[in-house]
Amino acid sequence: MTAVIKAEGLIKFYGTSRGVSGLDFAVEPGEVFGFLGPNGAGKTTTIRLMLDLIRPTAGRIEIFGLDLRRASVAIRARIGYLPGDLHLYERLTPREHLRYFAALRGLDGLGEGEKLAERFELELDRPIRTLSKGNRQKVGLVQAFLHRPDLLLLDEPTAGLDPLVQQTFNELLREVAAEGKTVFLSSHILSEVQRLADRVAIIHEGSLELVESVETLRARAFVRVEATFSEPPPAQAFAGLPGVRELERRGPVVLLALEGPADPLVKALARYEVLALDSHEADLEDFFLTFYRAGTSDAE
Amino acid sequence: MLSSVFAKALRDRRRAFLYWSLGLVAFIAMEVAVYPTVRDNPTFKTLGESYPKAIKDLFSFGGQFDIVSGAGFLGIEAFSIVVPMMLIYCTVAVGANAIAGEEERGTLDLLLSLPLSRSRCLLEKLAALVVETLALGLVLWTVLVIAVPLAKMHVKVVELLAATLLALALALVFGMIALAVGAASGRRGLAIGVPAALAVATYVLNSLASLVGWLGHLQWFSPFYYYTRSDPLRTGLDISDLLVLLAIAAVFAAAAPFLFRRRDLTTP
Repeated sequence: MTAVIKAEGLIKFYGTSRGVSGLDFAVEPGEVFGFLGPNGAGKTTTIRLMLDLIRPTAGRIEIFGLDLRRASVAIRARIGYLPGDLHLYERLTPREHLRYFAALRGLDGLGEGEKLAERFELELDRPIRTLSKGNRQKVGLVQAFLHRPDLLLLDEPTAGLDPLVQQTFNELLREVAAEGKTVFLSSHILSEVQRLADRVAIIHEGSLELVESVETLRARAFVRVEATFSEPPPAQAFAGLPGVRELERRGPVVLLALEGPADPLVKALARYEVLALDSHEADLEDFFLTFYRAGTSDAE
Repeated sequence: MLSSVFAKALRDRRRAFLYWSLGLVAFIAMEVAVYPTVRDNPTFKTLGESYPKAIKDLFSFGGQFDIVSGAGFLGIEAFSIVVPMMLIYCTVAVGANAIAGEEERGTLDLLLSLPLSRSRCLLEKLAALVVETLALGLVLWTVLVIAVPLAKMHVKVVELLAATLLALALALVFGMIALAVGAASGRRGLAIGVPAALAVATYVLNSLASLVGWLGHLQWFSPFYYYTRSDPLRTGLDISDLLVLLAIAAVFAAAAPFLFRRRDLTTP
């Protein structure tokens, strides 16, 4: 089976500023592909390249086995897109907006829009300008799904959604995945991607750092421990402990990454006077901290 | 109502079109109401003699400077500046909004994520601009056809149509420039500024050309030259002037999709 998305040597510069600097990846049919990276890493650039809204400086993209530049209209007919920075027609109501988009897609009425709106409890007949950010995001989601697209390009889809609506979104995503649709999901939240995606690509400063299955990534997961001492402990205090890496130090505050059992670390901490202790599952920032600890140390 | 980009573009202008129409109607009604006073006041008969040529050229709309005849009055008071400027203001606003306005508001990203080519999107908006301009012309012509006989101005219906058509073609020139600049740049301010500056500059160029010798040939570059050259309110339509104006508009209209297709869309 051919890949749904195939990007080869994809480079995009805006003048001299970097968008993406050489991406190669393939997204397989029916998978939920998480595209993870901090803000400014090039996620939105990649998605806008895939819609032919911007053109690559070098490299090419194939979607559904077709060359994007040659067949962009035919390709876009099968794509649902949710922009990261959503702008809607403020003067329309959601119903009018969805009907307009459905008409431009050659569908009668609202397509799947009515059902989806009901599911998201979206009020269809108030002008969009009066809607909250969360409700606008619902309009964005409904328009992306209303023609049952074969490929969804979702740029930070859960931004502004309250937890209950996020749950509805998660269910919807699992349903379309079960139907064999392909999803390209960008996010800066590690846990979100881990929850939803089959495979994850991590993008940082315009290039891909890794592409792995979520299981593999999860195996690398660690706990982040932040300890505040009454006075800074010696520099090598936590060196050589099994599964422990020191990430960062700001005076008496020490940030540590912990993999595996906590006991050796707890015992080592106990040798000093601990004023505060905080620990939680690593997020993307922590992930980058450890990821670049070995290589370049100036990674933000 | 919302079945195509064309239909939405027209729908978005419902209110603005109503206001522009009311403005045109009110302006023509006011001018026509004033006309009998001007006609019957003897000082206006010799007004032209006391003005320097530069002033007369600035406010002329073909033919002799004559504010007492119906055709002369209508040319000087309405068709020399106010009517073309109102129409140009309108077409430039719509032309700049078509691509650049929607791009700056951020909605173009989503619109062009649909199965809609950029050329198609632009051409539908262009068609809406032409239709709106024609509709505005119809309003203008209609109010003239009703009001002019009431004031006994003795300008024929076809002559009113001739002047209206020339004004519409002139407005389309600057509207298409706005559309093309917006399509090329995505910047609404630029898409308004360039045609507005060009309208003022070419208007002045045309008015001064008869006074300043070396400007004589440059006059050919001014759309206003073809707009004012004939004397449509007295002699009817000079079809070649209309065609020249439409050809200039067509050049910019043809350039717009070409410029729009090649570039990156910007985000606000």
